[in-house]
Amino acid sequence: MEAERRTQMSAEQTENRDLSEQIKEVTKESHVRAENTELMLSFQRGQVTLPQYKLLLCSLYEIYQALEEELDRNSNHPAVAPIYFPAELARLKSIETDLEYFYGPAWREKIVVPAATQRYCHRLRQIGKENPEYLVAHAYTRYLGDLSGGQVLGRIAQKSMGLKSSEGLSFFAFPGVSSPNLFKQLYRGRMNSVELTAEERSGVLEEAVRAFELNIQVFDGLQKMLSVAGNLQQESSTNSNAVYRKTLQFPGSLSPMVRMALGLFVALAAVMGLYAL
Amino acid sequence: MADMDPETNPHTEHIGDEEEPLFSNLDLFLFTLIVGLVGKNIIVFYGSQTGTGEEFANRLAKDAQRYGMKGMAADPEEYSMGELARLAEIQNSLAIFCMATYGEGDPTDNAQDFYDWLQENDDEDLSGLNYTVFALGNKTYEHYNAMGKYVDKRLEELGAKRIFDLGLGDDDGNLEEDFISWREQFWPAVCEHFGVEASGDDSSIRQYELKVHNDINMNKVFTGEIGRLKSFEVQKPSGKASWKKPVWRNRALCTVGQSLNDTFCRFRYESGDHVAVFPTNDSELVNKLGEILGVDLDVVISLNNLDEESNKKHPFPCPTTYRTALTHYLDITNPPRTNVLYELAQYASDPKDQENMRKMASSSPEGKALYQSWVLDSCRNIRAILEDMPSLKPPIDHLCELLPRLQARYYSIASSSKVHPNSIHICAVVVEYETKTGRVNKGVATNWLKNKLVNGHKSTVPMYIRKSQFRLPFKASNPVIMIGPGTGIAPFMGFIQERGWLKEQGKDVGETVMYFGCRHKNEDYIYQEELEEAEKKGVLTQLNVAFSRDQAHKVYVQHDLKKNKEHVWKLIHTDNAHIYVCGDARNMAKDVQTAFYEIAEEFGGMTRTQATDYVKKLMTKGRYSQDVWS
Repeated sequence: MEAERRTQMSAEQTENRDLSEQIKEVTKESHVRAENTELMLSFQRGQVTLPQYKLLLCSLYEIYQALEEELDRNSNHPAVAPIYFPAELARLKSIETDLEYFYGPAWREKIVVPAATQRYCHRLRQIGKENPEYLVAHAYTRYLGDLSGGQVLGRIAQKSMGLKSSEGLSFFAFPGVSSPNLFKQLYRGRMNSVELTAEERSGVLEEAVRAFELNIQVFDGLQKMLSVAGNLQQESSTNSNAVYRKTLQFPGSLSPMVRMALGLFVALAAVMGLYAL
Repeated sequence: MADMDPETNPHTEHIGDEEEPLFSNLDLFLFTLIVGLVGKNIIVFYGSQTGTGEEFANRLAKDAQRYGMKGMAADPEEYSMGELARLAEIQNSLAIFCMATYGEGDPTDNAQDFYDWLQENDDEDLSGLNYTVFALGNKTYEHYNAMGKYVDKRLEELGAKRIFDLGLGDDDGNLEEDFISWREQFWPAVCEHFGVEASGDDSSIRQYELKVHNDINMNKVFTGEIGRLKSFEVQKPSGKASWKKPVWRNRALCTVGQSLNDTFCRFRYESGDHVAVFPTNDSELVNKLGEILGVDLDVVISLNNLDEESNKKHPFPCPTTYRTALTHYLDITNPPRTNVLYELAQYASDPKDQENMRKMASSSPEGKALYQSWVLDSCRNIRAILEDMPSLKPPIDHLCELLPRLQARYYSIASSSKVHPNSIHICAVVVEYETKTGRVNKGVATNWLKNKLVNGHKSTVPMYIRKSQFRLPFKASNPVIMIGPGTGIAPFMGFIQERGWLKEQGKDVGETVMYFGCRHKNEDYIYQEELEEAEKKGVLTQLNVAFSRDQAHKVYVQHDLKKNKEHVWKLIHTDNAHIYVCGDARNMAKDVQTAFYEIAEEFGGMTRTQATDYVKKLMTKGRYSQDVWS
């Protein structure tokens, strides 16, 4: 009797699966992969340097610009309206503030955009035009990632780069969200109220996996870019590393490997976000 | 036994080839460090990922000096923690642990080895080791402070001696405040435990230094602002921008329950949001304090932090006057905490008074009992204490350093901006009661609001909106089940107004069900008119009201819920209803949750575990929201 009841329950459950649960399940594997990269683990040890972080910010700027412009444009679309929270979530302005802080007033001319980032943006523009219902996959991956890992990453970045105040780190702050956990619950509820045909739904799930892959590719791209630069730097690195060591608080920690992947950051944000999703 | 062989130290893997590490590959021997090299007797270990735990450890190590001891902060990753037991060989030694919890209740990276060691070594004997733990964590995570709690418990299991209670720091609230309050009581306890007198002339340690401004530009003086002083920012604001809004209407909803309904002018908000109100203390009380303390309250002063590493430069916006501080910034109505009594004791000229103050601040059973009865049960605030202990004459600046900050009060907004775009309604019970000492204590915010004259002079209210995540469903066709007894009904008035508005707009609105409760129909049935009207109009498709004391047996909202169990189950399981609970966290919210478990068990054919999971999932998916307080 008991066993019968239980199978009845689970049968019901698999039929009426919510989008939020399906997305989590379908990206579980990519998530585990990214989470276990050496780079992600070393990021957590506070090994991101200022030049690396600045480069990452450039990519984030491009990505959020594309994502948020497409969300704005499609804000009345039935698959976007329920998850449209510009006041709470929008990142573009805060990234601009951070870029200005790091690069100065002429920051727009100094932005560097690797190929993988351009591909990511291209995809966002494409679905904004052709399949706005897929935008939710990207919004979910990025924003909820930022909200989950956000505070911790911000503090790690602050310590590892020796930043004094929260200047340069507005990207991590969500003043419009009083409780990240409760907001995620609300967001999931909103996702689940989006009406999709079976075809659209599987498209969204596929897009979520793609979103994840695009993020990892951005990170790979940045890593390659930096390891070239890094190899050149290493010869004369001892001096700068000694200086760097002074800015870290705890003497026992290690100097960063110069060929540190910045994009780890991106993966980390996405990954930690998903981890808590 | 822990592996003491340095050659097999896993740490070597982390060290890069090109770099020369600051420390050798060997774990430093704890014991030699303590005794031979540095002569410390207090070691503060830290489990820190983002540096906060480490910062706290550093500050505690510094503190030790002020109490006549020698402290140092230490990263457990760099020491062979298996030597911990040997700390007991040092006289008056103490191990303090500042342990942060990471992720899903995990240790921070630098504490991983220590954690493993603790877990693996059951036969480790730590008797003679004195310790205490301060935990850093975040309440929004399920495994709140798991690491700190574990270390505290495990060390005791291994025979170590806990000399002070575990401190719990909540980063979701105010980690710094939690740390400071814990620290303030911790050191006196340490001194008492070791029979050590704290060094210095005073037996108390000032955190701030008074500076009197005799000749200052009044434009630079704070007069009650919470944040920026015009364009002159003296310190990081601890609150958000204040918006002063005029009071528009002040109406008592009912006689006995004394709920009131204030309205403010326009501000952008959604129903379900909270409004934070910055009240001020009763000026009569402030004047009284000035009188008792014998000071000129209008002197302009600053209190500057002696701890340079702290981010908190002043205890409240400075420079300002004592009057402003006592009126706008300091809590003078709550019973003072024991650390306040401890610090003030030195200013009691009567030795008996001094002894009693210290006693109440101590950890002895009679002391705790005395504090409980003389301060807490008798609801003595600082004024009452000063009046009832006339020999106690503290300097006002020290008192200002000790009193906690006056907190903003949060209320759930009781209106919908769609229906009332130009006003915000709140619903609160005016707090007023007589204490055992015959004094009348009044709630700060509710009395302040109550006394706001409509359109009168100075009838503005500094406030800000705090967005919540408590929201009606996106689709109006989703049914809603609202459970909000007493003042918990506040956000639902907004919800009901909004559902009514949607109906008028011609939208397809799902079932709108209300479960309300109060004690007596004739005494505290607030919003009765509005609710019955909404029911008549069909905006409320079902109104259930439980009057707990109108009959012999208690009837609460959860009983009404269970009476309608079949209908409730259909709404939840088939019709995709959203559930909302607002009000008392301690009992009502739990009882209501249990009622839902029972309904799920009965109609969903579930076990209790499955029912719990089912409800938990509803929460994760945003279909079961709570706005509760204790």
